[in-house]
Amino acid sequence: MLFKLAWKNIIKRPFSSGLSVLLLASSIMIILLAFLTMQQLESKFNENANKIDLVVGAKGSRLQLVLCNVFHVDNPTGNIKMKDVTFLSKHPFVRSSIPISLGDNYKSYRIVGTDKNFLKKLYITPFKQGKLFEKPYEVVLGFNAANKMGLKLGDSFYGSHGIDASLHEHQDAKYFVVGLLDYSGEVVDNLILTSLESVWQVHFEDHQKGSFDLSYEKKHDHHHHHQKTNVVEEDKEITALLVNYKSPRAKFSIPGIVNNKKQLMAAEPAIEIQRLLDLVQPAVKVIAVLAWFIFGLAFFSMLITLVNSMKSRKYEIAMMRASGASSKLVLISILTEGFLVALIGAFLGLILGHVIMEIMGLYLTNHYHYQFSGFIFNFFELWLLFGTLATGIISAFIPAISAYNMDISSTLKKKI
Amino acid sequence: MGLYFGLNQRKLIQTKDLSIIYENKRIDFPDIDINQGNHFLILGRSGSGKTSFLNLIGGLSSPSGGQVKINNENIALLSSNKLDKFRGINIGFIFQTPHFIKSLNINDNLMLSQYFLGNIDQNHIDTLLEKVGLLNRKKDSLHELSEGEKQRVSIVRALINKPKIILADEPTSALDDYSCEVVIELLKNLSEENNSVLIIVTHDKRLKDKFKQFIDLDAF
Repeated sequence: MLFKLAWKNIIKRPFSSGLSVLLLASSIMIILLAFLTMQQLESKFNENANKIDLVVGAKGSRLQLVLCNVFHVDNPTGNIKMKDVTFLSKHPFVRSSIPISLGDNYKSYRIVGTDKNFLKKLYITPFKQGKLFEKPYEVVLGFNAANKMGLKLGDSFYGSHGIDASLHEHQDAKYFVVGLLDYSGEVVDNLILTSLESVWQVHFEDHQKGSFDLSYEKKHDHHHHHQKTNVVEEDKEITALLVNYKSPRAKFSIPGIVNNKKQLMAAEPAIEIQRLLDLVQPAVKVIAVLAWFIFGLAFFSMLITLVNSMKSRKYEIAMMRASGASSKLVLISILTEGFLVALIGAFLGLILGHVIMEIMGLYLTNHYHYQFSGFIFNFFELWLLFGTLATGIISAFIPAISAYNMDISSTLKKKI
Repeated sequence: MGLYFGLNQRKLIQTKDLSIIYENKRIDFPDIDINQGNHFLILGRSGSGKTSFLNLIGGLSSPSGGQVKINNENIALLSSNKLDKFRGINIGFIFQTPHFIKSLNINDNLMLSQYFLGNIDQNHIDTLLEKVGLLNRKKDSLHELSEGEKQRVSIVRALINKPKIILADEPTSALDDYSCEVVIELLKNLSEENNSVLIIVTHDKRLKDKFKQFIDLDAF
């Protein structure tokens, strides 16, 4: 009955109640959106960053080196010679070192030259169909890459030069799909994996025919004198080496050794990602401040709505008291109104937040090749819900107290 | 000075030396001593304090001096919470302008009054609404009713918890002659059925012939 009374009083003034609900819902939605985006970004970044202890590549920006070779979103810093990093694979502190060679893409999905350990040790992903690449030009497709491009086992395609979609196709670099990976939720879902030899061969062939290539021409100039498909061991190049330590002591020695070499640079993904997130944090905070501001508006809207409604309802309240309602009951009935408005606002905000996150997730997924979802729920939302309900009740307190202390007799006498 | 009604019945309302201070002026009220089932009028011109007198009897306000006993209980000694409950159980109010919860329909308004005392009884609501001829309109909103009809609903509300006392403040002064007649007959009959004390405060001359007993505050 008390809920019914509160509910009927709320819908009796649809516009002012609606405004309160809307403000409350918007602020909760924005808070939730900022939280969900940041949380997923952080967890995706950390998840992937924590898999690799150290990335070794050409000198340049450390963040770029990490973004390019761990997350596959930025351009390479350049190439390094395979022979310069062989000492790392033999180092007693190193558990594994996996080479990566970038250069081509197919419909903006990167073709990554690497060795078998990439799937066996680093991103352990079960095969849905087929097998690992063995011969040059054999490729294994990540789950999203295969789905988005609609490629099946046994299909073939021509790669394009560069790591982003371009018009320049290698007419004789024809890849064959020999394996399809299952969904892993990791970066490997968006990659096309092949052997290092494939990448080397494509690029040597390319340069022998004198193809025009803006980004790689300079680096590969000196390969022109080589034989068609034979790559001399001495000149084998990779984009980066992904290193995992055997011993925690490696953390203090290996980066130093690498950085001392003039052609090499070492970057720790965990550190670089933390720096990146630190850069993004303030922007998220600004959004959060905005959301709390709207939340404050919602609070005052609820307060004013109730105070105004109390003015026109004071006879009703006096009458309730005269009919045997205790002042406590009147207090509770008004608090219930604040509670209900907050409850509706909170649920609407949470639902909207998740739905919009899901819709935005489609865009973010396309953009970053990462899976973003709106239907991830967090303990934080419970706090948001309880906080909102408490706010609703607090906003009802001032009008409720004035009703609690009402002098029934004089209120009823005023209107003759 | 005392006015006594009824002979061998139980004393329900007793007031003694009641007074209030209103705009720096002391207003004294006559002592009354009322038995169960009595009906009577309190007459007086505006400003004579008759509404204040009624509010004192009903415990809606407290006196500057004197005391009110209902059922031998000094209501000044009740805590605010207990007084609210006590009022709900023992007293039904009817005011000149009937106030209802605007957001609720007729039936829900009546049910709310039952809810305050914790005994919801739809049959009782229906029976009373039928007696005032408004049963078919119980789902209507109150603003759809005429003043006379609203006053009939407030009679039902006053009686909904079967109180021993009905206090009516100018229940007919906003009504036309026909509605006045209907409302006062209902009020008398239903109070009688319920064996309630009925006290009507009014300056409405039309009521004077309808009651045998009255107190004139102007003469006091």
